[in-house]
Amino acid sequence: MGRLDLEHLSLAYAQRGGTFLALSAVNLSIRDGEFVTIVGPSGCGKSTLLMLIAALLQPTSGAVRLDGRVVTAPGPDRALVFQDFALLPWRTVLANVELGLELKGVPAQKRSEIARRHIAMVGLGAFERSYPHQLSGGMRQRVGIARALAVEPQVLLMDEPFGALDAQIRQVMGSELLRIWERGRKTILFVTHDIDESIYLADRIIVMSASPGRVIADIAVTLQRPRPLEIRNDPAFTAYRQRIWDLLQQEVLASNSWEQSAAEPAAAMPAGAAT
Amino acid sequence: MSVVAQTPIGTGLTWRSLARHRSARTIVGCAAVALFLVAWQIVGANEIIRSDLISYPSEVAETLISMTASGELGGNLAVSLEEFVQGFVPAIGIGVAAGIAFALSRRLHYLFEPLIVALNTSPIIAFVPIVVVWFGVGTQSKAIMVFLAAVIPIVINTMTGITQVHESWIRACRAFGASKFEVIVKAMLPGALPSVMVGVRLAVGRAIVGLIAAEMYVSVHGIGRLIQVYSTSERAAEIFVLVAVVATFGFLLVTLLRRLESLIAPWSLER
Repeated sequence: MGRLDLEHLSLAYAQRGGTFLALSAVNLSIRDGEFVTIVGPSGCGKSTLLMLIAALLQPTSGAVRLDGRVVTAPGPDRALVFQDFALLPWRTVLANVELGLELKGVPAQKRSEIARRHIAMVGLGAFERSYPHQLSGGMRQRVGIARALAVEPQVLLMDEPFGALDAQIRQVMGSELLRIWERGRKTILFVTHDIDESIYLADRIIVMSASPGRVIADIAVTLQRPRPLEIRNDPAFTAYRQRIWDLLQQEVLASNSWEQSAAEPAAAMPAGAAT
Repeated sequence: MSVVAQTPIGTGLTWRSLARHRSARTIVGCAAVALFLVAWQIVGANEIIRSDLISYPSEVAETLISMTASGELGGNLAVSLEEFVQGFVPAIGIGVAAGIAFALSRRLHYLFEPLIVALNTSPIIAFVPIVVVWFGVGTQSKAIMVFLAAVIPIVINTMTGITQVHESWIRACRAFGASKFEVIVKAMLPGALPSVMVGVRLAVGRAIVGLIAAEMYVSVHGIGRLIQVYSTSERAAEIFVLVAVVATFGFLLVTLLRRLESLIAPWSLER
């Protein structure tokens, strides 16, 4: 299935003059099929948390469990969608979506069949043969989503997936994502710094704070589904927005001050993920 | 044809329209060459400058025909081509393999970097005499020179290509559970391909210089050998024919490589 348990998860970096605690004792349980958003100021370790679940990073202490098993290495049971899309420019849309299936060892025939189905699902059926540089940002991220879903993961990890898109496209992509999610109800962990986005998508919002990164609130969202885009003007929605903004206000102001940003490490995305 | 159609009436042939229209650029380029040839013909054929020094296009054309007819050109070109291929193909294979190894292993990188930098900055034709001493006056020494000249830019550009592979491509592969080997095959090699192709293209020019220099130094056959022979008998027309043959070969090969690149790595042009 897709139940995630984060047990006392911490990550510390060695740094000049000591260690920097990126994440401090995060405990979190996510039910199968739950759509959870993680919101917080930049540098709060929300992306780091995803990298730990993906096992692209190893925690200093604590463990990630997927359906009870401790996660130790990256794998197709947890598929990532990246802010920078991370598509391979020499591959067509079809071949990009096949990447995860290739690495999973799915035979060629089956691979293109599965890939085609997922490309159609994200509405890019006419672009199978196109290269990423021929697509708009929104279309590229649709490819990223199709690639992640094609491996049939237990959990979908989305790291600010719409962060590089225009505001309007962003909203459209959000409602598209919900439409896709409604079909399969896969567990989704969605990191964002956009408060509205975090409310609109979620069953549950995890609010994080910075230095060290930790969970400061766990809010259940009871807005009805399916959600129209106009739900953002609903009084209930506005109340959530106010509540999260109140929680984050201190944080955002603090992390925006000169001293704080100088003290913070430049890389919220650990360099270790690169090599 | 299309130039006339695409240029708005009244603007004529401006530099701006040249930048836009590929066919217009080609026509202007050909016109410049034609103008040069006409001027050369007038100056040379009328002995404005001694024609045994500069020759002239019609004489060069006649010489090309007679050298081709006698088999002199074809036979020597075949020898040069064989030497080129014998050196260039291994240079691609070994150069790419070494470039990958140097990019992936810090130890190898530290070990070989000074040597590569030294070879890259030294004029490769300085090695001709010693290569001839080692490998003789035959085709082998020429192939070695081609190899030495070609392998360096290929190694360097392959290395650069691998080290400049985007972190996000590697991350994507790793996230889906790729092993180290799979990351190399699926992200690093294809990602480095455009840079490898740049290295191979650079290598063409360098290899031709190495080849001709080695043949001119000492050899029995080959285009460089002919250049050397005709230079001692002060035959400008023959030398121009031979230079034109070498230049044409280089041009054709580079054009072919560009075509190949746009086929196998169409993305690199618009990354």
